[in-house]
Parts: sequence; structure tokens; C-alpha cells
Amino acid sequence: MLTLSADVVVVGGGSTGAGVVRDVAMRGYKAILVDRADLGQGTTGRYHGLLHSGGRYVVSDPHSATECAEENAIISRIQADAVELTGGYFVATQVDDPAWGDEWAKGATETQVPFEEVSVADVLKAEPRLNPKISRAFKVQDGSVDGWQMVWGAANSAKQYGAQILTYHRVTKIERDGDRVSQVVCTDEKTGEEVRIDCNFVLNCAAAWGGQIAHMAGCPDVQVVPGAGIMIAMNHRLTNSVVNRLTYPADGDILVPVHTVCIIGTTDQKADDPDQLKIAWDEVQQMMDCGELLVPGFRKARAIHAWAGARPLVKDSRVGSGDTRHMSRGMSIIDHSDRDSLKGLLTIAGGKLTTYRLMAEKVVDAMCAQLDDPRPCRTATENVPGSESGKNYVITHRLEEREHDRHEDQILCECELMSRGMFTKALVKQPKGSFDDLRRQLRLGMGPCQGGFCTMRATGVALETEHIDIERATGLLRLFLKNRWIGIWPILYGDQVRQTALDNWIFQGTLDVEHLPGLTHEEVV
Amino acid sequence: MTRVVVIGAGVAGLVASIRLADAGARVALLNKGTGGLQLSQGTIDILGYAPERVERPLEALAGFAQAHPGHPYASLDAECVGTAAGYLKDLLGPALLVGDPAVNLQLPTAVGAIRPTALVSPSMTAGACVDGADFVIVGLRQLKDFYPELVAQNLARTEPPGGGRITARSVMLDFPARDGEIDSSGLTYARALDDPAYRRRFALAVKGVVGDAGTVGLPAVLGLDDHGAWADIAELIGAEVFEIPLPPPSVPGMRLNRALTERAKSAGVRVVPGSKVTGFHASGGSVRSVSLATAGGAREFVAEAFLLATGGFESGALHADSYHKVHESVFDLPLRIPEGTLVHGDYWGDPQPLFTIGVDTDENLLVRHPGGEPVHNNLYAAGGILAGATRWQEKSGEGIAVASAVRAADAILSVAATATSQGAAS
Repeated sequence: MLTLSADVVVVGGGSTGAGVVRDVAMRGYKAILVDRADLGQGTTGRYHGLLHSGGRYVVSDPHSATECAEENAIISRIQADAVELTGGYFVATQVDDPAWGDEWAKGATETQVPFEEVSVADVLKAEPRLNPKISRAFKVQDGSVDGWQMVWGAANSAKQYGAQILTYHRVTKIERDGDRVSQVVCTDEKTGEEVRIDCNFVLNCAAAWGGQIAHMAGCPDVQVVPGAGIMIAMNHRLTNSVVNRLTYPADGDILVPVHTVCIIGTTDQKADDPDQLKIAWDEVQQMMDCGELLVPGFRKARAIHAWAGARPLVKDSRVGSGDTRHMSRGMSIIDHSDRDSLKGLLTIAGGKLTTYRLMAEKVVDAMCAQLDDPRPCRTATENVPGSESGKNYVITHRLEEREHDRHEDQILCECELMSRGMFTKALVKQPKGSFDDLRRQLRLGMGPCQGGFCTMRATGVALETEHIDIERATGLLRLFLKNRWIGIWPILYGDQVRQTALDNWIFQGTLDVEHLPGLTHEEVV
Repeated sequence: MTRVVVIGAGVAGLVASIRLADAGARVALLNKGTGGLQLSQGTIDILGYAPERVERPLEALAGFAQAHPGHPYASLDAECVGTAAGYLKDLLGPALLVGDPAVNLQLPTAVGAIRPTALVSPSMTAGACVDGADFVIVGLRQLKDFYPELVAQNLARTEPPGGGRITARSVMLDFPARDGEIDSSGLTYARALDDPAYRRRFALAVKGVVGDAGTVGLPAVLGLDDHGAWADIAELIGAEVFEIPLPPPSVPGMRLNRALTERAKSAGVRVVPGSKVTGFHASGGSVRSVSLATAGGAREFVAEAFLLATGGFESGALHADSYHKVHESVFDLPLRIPEGTLVHGDYWGDPQPLFTIGVDTDENLLVRHPGGEPVHNNLYAAGGILAGATRWQEKSGEGIAVASAVRAADAILSVAATATSQGAAS
């Protein structure tokens, strides 16, 4: 057993938790963040990558719209390396009422979301694959953001301020001392060791899992409803900018170019368990039809991967619990000193990735208020490590890097231009990481071949550099293939079938991975 | 002289073309890409798993066919497969293909699994995983598709199929294929090793790191055109040497592909590469011609018989659209499609039904409506396009391809002979 101590324990390593731990650390508290898995493995990593301009909410949720517009500018600056300034459009297709654009424009003006109405001809010139039947278009400041890079940027900033980031630490209990929180008990998932963290305050940022965490502190019935949405990545950018349907928020109304792919999203289904989200074939078909409406020929483009994320929507008595789309996208802070007579615990949920920094600011303000220890928030003005230059991401970054080092280094993943050096560097930083953990930072296996060529190389390099032994290497190889498949099979059609046939031929055929030792009952973390 | 159009130049198309041309047919071999051999492990599988590991594939075929009634092997029996494998062996000769179709060799893969296969390049046989085998696996720093530790350590912890133990250690050798190049493909190494002077330097460098003991395992890059390169290297090292196949591009597969293509050309096969068949003309129950997209316009190829050897999903011969409607790309043939969902989420589970989709044929490989009448009376199919097999899991791809190619070719020749004798009689 290991005992640690901190002023504040942050539970949850998604965008909210990472933002909160950074804020807490920057205000001078000793902070520890724990997550049962890797950073950004939950909802943060399972969304479409849109850095909202606010345009999406100007009619449905004006308060959120304004917050998005303000935070968009801040995040683009302080986390420049995670953000691409793609710009975006709201377009009315032939099935949308162009007159609704007037209502939208009025909302955008009132909420101070920057926009400009542009001619259809100009939009089609900029985005030649867009549906030529669009009748109206507004230009907005949407961007795309790499959720994992954003979370790691915030976490690394927190570390610079003395915070500890403990991934793969599953909270099993929150101890109380009288009417106060006193200790967080975790299990180190990699070693099985129990870790106890003495603390004065716990900030529950577990989002869709927040109800489970509150329950561990003896605070029952915190209802965070997982609003599940599916996303599909297409193997290249069909548009250069974010494209939104000019309608009231609905399913399949956003297409976002992120890195080498573009992502269509999303749906909204109430889920019972955020760990058991399904991608139904009819939802995939629905996304395809929506894609076809934005970009004719969408169905003939190649889908490479699908995933589902669980929005952490706090149950609100104003809407029925089955209608997750129209629950508030705003954030909620539950102060358990009022609700459950337990001091030192705040649960935060709701909100959205774009406003994660602001959410963190508010929750840490609330903590300071309860502690009667006012300290100012400084997160909006300081760039995170990696963004010091203030240069935003552009898609050609990696190509430029490889052009510089191609005579000195091998490219392990051709799809995503990931070099051996990038991989070994990440291994040194996260020696216990699975290949999926490394993937989230490196995009290993995320391109068209979905790991067909790079998986064996990653395994070989990790073993050769003695970061892992043969048992783990073989287990990680198999785990990565299995996990990739989770996102491939729901959208397996078209050219991705062809790719899968080749990948199967390589792994099952040529390499015979099915008959490596130790497959039965394997558990690799 | 009967005219035959063969579409697809993988192992099935090549073998059928050679057999037809040798028997006097006028054969045009039309291919869009370069065939599957260079995507493969470069050996001839017959049956590796059923689903347990198979030691004697021809003996296992009858039981396998009984358990898999819709499988190509249900009509291609052990005698047919054995004969076809022997035929291929004769075509390629002992410099390229050795082994006994009745007995599987158990050879290491590039991740250190032990894989059953039937006929192999003579450069691979020393890798047989038997009790007491003592291997030194050598990797090349500049070749990113082969990690000797992975191979050696997995082999060392695996009991070989016949029981016992394998000893394996690994060495990484820093030896560029080309000066100053850090990221070379296996093909670049293979070409370099065709040069005797480079080969000599290479072999001496290997000798320097492996020491005395053991059989030396190397990535399968030991020469492309020079089929004796591996033996030369073994002699220079002074040890037994074996090649381990890599992910594509497959140098051993490429050797087979080149040899068969040359053999086809010398048999008089007209090889028309790099063009896609875009349409066909049929009348009176027969396919009369296919059109080939070529520069300057389509060209018609008229023939008495047609053999479809285009492969499966991997080559684009089959295509599943976004509604999960599956199409055959050249003739839009009716397909045998399993009931129920085509794909499931268990990566290590049962074969995916999607990949068993293919065309149905009678015992002479004449394409028919699933379980029914022939679609055309002169359209045959061979190889990966046939329904019912999960070739990569069964390790059955080349066996099905060669056996179906030989049988289809013989059926075409037999029909032609009957027509000729009838013509002569009338």
C-alpha cells in the first residue's frame, strides 16, 4: 500500500479533470489527478473534434453560445498546438428552411458569436465538394481540436505547477472523517497496489461516471445521464472547414476535418451504461444519409473507424430524462455540503469540451469559496507546454518534420507519418502504456490501414528497446488489434473491407498471430 | 484451337493460363494489378488449421470438407489438390519450391508464431520448428518490418507442434541496403542481395555477429532474381540459413510471381497487364467477349471460355457497398451470401461471414446461381473468388487456388476437345 497526500484530489482525466487539475495547481494547491484509465480515454477522446464557434447554440442555448465564442478564442491561443483554425460554415441544404437563417443570425448577433453571411458561390469555391444545392451560408470561427493533445497539454501544465497525474488509478472508495472528505482510495490498475491519498478536497470530474464516484463518497442519486453519440471518421478530408447544417441542433449535422480525416457526427441516444455504448447499423446508415446531404457522394467515400461517446448530461427536471439532446449543454456543479452534508466534495458535470477551461475555473472558484480561500484563476492567460510558440496546428506539420528527419529516422506509421523517434520518446514517458495509450498521443494506427502495418513495428520496437517483455509485447499486439476492430466492424463496407481483408491476410495469414502463445484468457492493461 | 480469357494474375490465374497454353489453347491473361502472391507469405498453403493445427493436409482434407460443406475443398478432393500441388512444384522447379503436399512444415513467422504450410522455397526449410532446433534470428537495423527479438523470444517460449523445445536468440545487425538509407524495404534489400559483391559483405557481417552456433534465421529478403542467393549466403556464413516471410511486399511471393509469369509468357500466354475489365458481352447462354479499358479506348477479347480468377475483397474483385450489398466486380455474378449479419465484433471469434462470400460453382468450377444452374455455360472461376473459405485463417489460399485452377483448366480443355471431335464428326 502506498499513501500519498494532497490538498485536492481530482477524479477523472478527461478534459474537465485536466482543466481542473491545472487550475488547482496554478492557484497553488497541491493536487493529484486520478483516472481509472488513460487521460482522455472517455468522452473527451470520443467526440468529433469540433472547437465550437458557438454557432451551434445561438438559438437553442444562447448562454452556451456566448461561452463557446469566448472560450474558442482562449483555447486557440493557450493550446495553440492542439487547435487547427479551420473555420466553419453553417449551410442550409435543400431540406432546410433558408428563412431559419434569419433567426440564427439574430441569435448569433445577440450572443456575440462572430459570423458573416457569405454567398453560396463563394462557399462552393472554398469547399468544392459541398452540396451545390445549398441555399444559404454563414461563415463562423469553428476550429478543430485534438482532445487528447488538449488534455495532455493541460496535464503537463499542471505538472509544471507540481501536480501529480496518476493514470490507471481506479477510485474504489472515498473516505470521510465526520462531515468532511478525508481520503481517496485507489487501485493502481497496472500493479494491483492500493494507493491511499489523504486530502482536504475532492473534485469529482468523472463526468458520465460522476454518479458512481459520488456514490463512493456516500452521496447517492447523483444522476448524470449518458447521452450517447456516434461518430464516423472518413479516411480523408472531404471539406477543409467545419460544416454545420443550418438547423436547430439535430443528428448528423456536423462534419469536422481533424488531422488526416474528417468526422461526421453525431447522434444522441440515452444510454444506461457509459461503458457499454453500442454503434448500431441503423445509426451508421443515418450518418451516411446525413453525410450525403452535406457532401454528395459521401457514401462512396471510405469510412475507416467509428466510435461512441457519452455526453455527461446532468438530469434536469425541465426535460424528460429520455430526451438527452435537449438537456442543458451547460455545466452543473453539485455542492455536496448542501446536498449531502458532506464538506470537501464537488461534483461537476455537463458542459462541453470547448468550454472545459471555463468549467474548471468555475468549479475551482466554488471550491475556494467553500474553503473561504479566494485565489484568482490564471488559466486563461498562460499557454500550456507545447504551445509556447503560439503557433496553431496545421495538417502539414508532420510532413514537415519527416522531411527534416527522414534520413535519420524510420517512419513506423506511414498513414500518420509517425516516426520511430516519436514512438520511443512516448514510450519513455509512458513505459507502462498500452499501444492505445500511445495511439492517443501519436495517432498510431489511426489512418486508413488501421494498424495493418504499424502494429507489428510498434510491438517490435517496444520489445527491442526493452520497455516491455515478450509476454506483454505479444499481449499488447493482440490487444491493439482487438481494440481497433471495435471501431472497424460497425462501419465495415466499401474500401475498408478491402483494407481489412489485407490486414487479416497479414496478421492471421502471414504472421499467424492467432497462434502465438498465451491468447486464452489474456488480460492486458 | 480454343481461345480462353483468364482474368486475374494471382497464383490461380497464372497456373490456369500455363496449363491451358501448354495444352494448346490460345490464352489471354488480363490483369489489373500484379496478383496476390506478393501480398502473401510466399509459400503454398494447403490446409494449416481445421481449426486445430494440421500436420498432414491431404489426409485432413476429407474430414475438413465434411465439416465445411460449402467450402471449395468440398469438391476439390485430396487427389485433385495433391495433383495440382505437384503440378505447381514441377512448374517452378526445386530452386523455388520444395516440400511434400502431404506433409506440412511448421515454420516461424515474423512475430515468432509457428505456422503450418505445405510447399516452400528451399530457402525456408531450415527453419522447421522441431524439438532441438537452435536458431539465431538476425534482424537488420534499417529494415523496420522484422524484429528478431520478437521472433526469437516467442519461439523460445513455444512448444513446437511435435513437442520438445526450441532454442532461439536474436541479433540486430546494422547493415544498410543502400549507403545512408535508414528506412529500406525488404525489396530494396532483396535487390541489393542479388549483387554478389554486396551479398558477400552482407554474409560476412552476419557471420561476424552470429558466431558459430545455430541455424541462422533472416528476413525473407535474400535475393529477388538470383534464386541461389540464399544458398550462397549460407555458404559464406558457414551455417544453415532460413528465410522468414515479412508483411507485404513479399519477396518470396514476388519470386514465385515472376517465375510463373515468365513461364506463362514462354508458353505463349498473351499477358495484358495493368488494365481493368470494364464490361462483357454475352449471348445464347455464353459469354462472348470482355472489354478491357486501355489507352485509346476499349479492346474486346473474344473467347470460347472465360476464367474468373480475380481474388476476393482484398483485390477489389468483390465489393460491399455502404448498404452491405455485395457485388462481383467484372460480371456482377450472383453470389453466395450467408444469412444474417455479415460482420461481428469478436476479433478473435468465429470467421466473419462477410469474408466467406464468393461465387458458387459446380464441380468443374463453372459459375452457377447459388445451388442452381450455370450463369453462363463457359464462365469458370478459380481461387479467392470462390465462396466458403476463410483462407487466411485456414491457411488454405494457394491450395484452393491451384487446385481450382487446374480443374477449371482441365474442364475447359475437355469441353474444347469434345467440341473439336464433334466438329470433326459433323
